[in-house]
Amino acid sequence: MLQDPEVVRDWDVDDWNRFLPQARQARLLGRCYHLFGQHGLLDAVPARLVDQMRGALAQTRYVQSQALRELGQVCRVLDRQGIPVMALKGVAYLAAALPPSHWRNLSDIDLLVPIAEIERAEQALMRSGWLPNGEFDSYDQHYYRAWMHEIPPLVHRARETEVDLHHNLAPPVSRIRINATRLWEASLEVADPHGQSVRVPGPADMLLHNAVHLFMNDELRGGLRDVVDFRDLFEHFAQQDEAFEPGLLARANELGCGRPLYYATSTARRLTGLAASDRFLAEVGRHAPALPVRRLMAWLIEQLMSPRRLGAWQTTLADRLLFLRSHWVRMPPGMLIRHLTHKAFRSRKETDAVEPDLPG
Amino acid sequence: MRSVAAVPRSEDQTIVLDVGPFRVRVEGVDGRFLDTLSYFYRDSVRHDGRHVVDYEIRLLRPWTHRRWLRPQAVFEIDGLRPFEPQPLDHAFPMYEWGLNWCIATSAHRYLMLHSGTVAFDDRAMILPGSPGSGKSTLSAALSLRGARLLSDEFGLLRPESLDLVAMPRGIPLKNTSIEAILDFEGGAPLGPTYPNTRKGRVRHLRPDEHSLARQEVPATPRWLVFPKYQEGAEAVLQPLDRDEAFRQLAFNCFNYKLLGETAFRAVSGLVAQVDCYSFRFGRLDDAVERLTALTRG
Repeated sequence: MLQDPEVVRDWDVDDWNRFLPQARQARLLGRCYHLFGQHGLLDAVPARLVDQMRGALAQTRYVQSQALRELGQVCRVLDRQGIPVMALKGVAYLAAALPPSHWRNLSDIDLLVPIAEIERAEQALMRSGWLPNGEFDSYDQHYYRAWMHEIPPLVHRARETEVDLHHNLAPPVSRIRINATRLWEASLEVADPHGQSVRVPGPADMLLHNAVHLFMNDELRGGLRDVVDFRDLFEHFAQQDEAFEPGLLARANELGCGRPLYYATSTARRLTGLAASDRFLAEVGRHAPALPVRRLMAWLIEQLMSPRRLGAWQTTLADRLLFLRSHWVRMPPGMLIRHLTHKAFRSRKETDAVEPDLPG
Repeated sequence: MRSVAAVPRSEDQTIVLDVGPFRVRVEGVDGRFLDTLSYFYRDSVRHDGRHVVDYEIRLLRPWTHRRWLRPQAVFEIDGLRPFEPQPLDHAFPMYEWGLNWCIATSAHRYLMLHSGTVAFDDRAMILPGSPGSGKSTLSAALSLRGARLLSDEFGLLRPESLDLVAMPRGIPLKNTSIEAILDFEGGAPLGPTYPNTRKGRVRHLRPDEHSLARQEVPATPRWLVFPKYQEGAEAVLQPLDRDEAFRQLAFNCFNYKLLGETAFRAVSGLVAQVDCYSFRFGRLDDAVERLTALTRG
């Protein structure tokens, strides 16, 4: 359906009943509403589902305005310290008014600061009322700081939006080493919808970050949303700039991100019908891994992202395998064993079940 | 609870029912739960064909020792289980509560008011209030005397038309409210007693046929009455300043902040077109008489 929305005209009751929970879980309800609207298909959608999509969009608008507000607050504090800030991912799409900003949900904001400044930035924010979100023992702290590319996330005590400060797109000890200076060099200044001046990555870097984040971290689950972002951004930039595709390939080579770009491209093509030139596809295919790995990855991705699989056992298995893989690509083997052992023996936090306070 | 002819259900123990504007498919955990559901909502169960639904809810028994030992039930929506398991014989209140959660987290197409709502000839009286205000008990009493029940807790306002969509449900009465309703109306159709819930002892009032039959008919708000239960008090209805009414109504709106400007405009618009009152009451029969008189005036 993401490739050819017109198919919904032929959908029956069972198709719609599969669509709603999957789109809801994949955080794509808002995206679909826009897609249907754009293709004049809303009349083919059952009225109660239109209401559900509108409800999802109302919620999206709210979290978006919260995110922009948080961005403004953080920039104010860091500007005073002379620390440059770059918006990443969802909040960057929002700030730059790119197509995903019509429907994209965010649960937190991701920001890049120079590695030399990250501790000073953290301290400045904590002095101004931000606090670490969640409990972390000293092992977690060490893991985050030294091995990952994140300090523990922060949240302001008067608000709810989580702030994740990064100094790179991939951890320093991972198998991909990105030169962060290059990211700053290619970054652009934009005026966000609230009129504030915000720095965002260059178009190629935005795509590469999407690819690296998705295929190098452990968030493949629910990643269909990110794949859709990749498709939407790619097609938007390619339309605007003839040189975008070769530029993206060159940049991937420059930053050493060829493999994630290959995965992102092939997945986007398979699942969302990404329109890329044959030349681009041939070139990016050179970064593909050996055939058996390619096949396994394709299977894993299919299990987790293809919108057919709520609750299936294959999903759980694929999920576990990808979790392992995500660590594999982020850590040297010695560290990996130590890390997983530590995690296994630490007492689990209390139940994940939510007990919300509710009417009735 | 008098026995009721069982609703024909599909082989796999699921029921599809209309809950106000929402359609829900429920896969029941056992016969007792499905019977209870039928007792409350028999009139809004759909028998015909296959339907597009808003929520597909499953109530399951876990595959742990808790399947047999002090048996539990688990609530599942979209393949997720957001809540702690509950005792198996509390399946019905867990379903009601879980469905409230599903609605509260997704139905932002409506302005969702924390209020009871009843209608007199499709003119609605909105009764907003925090727990303890008495709004549920009052809504129950009014509906027992012929008012149409739209909600006991979840007022659904359409911001574009400022009218209310009905969602008559079983009204959960807590602790002493149970006796108060039985004193008020000895033959009130109440469901099973659930002791030891998070809110204490609970019994639900079954929604009447008339309210269920007309649940697709919206109502136009005419009165906004903020109730406050006070033991032994005389029923006193006092006109309320519009600004104060605005503030209190906004405060009693679940998704006011989320809907932002839409909420502001809807609440302003609503307050401007209704008569606003605060209402103190101690006895249900006085209260019902006083409020009904208001609608005749």
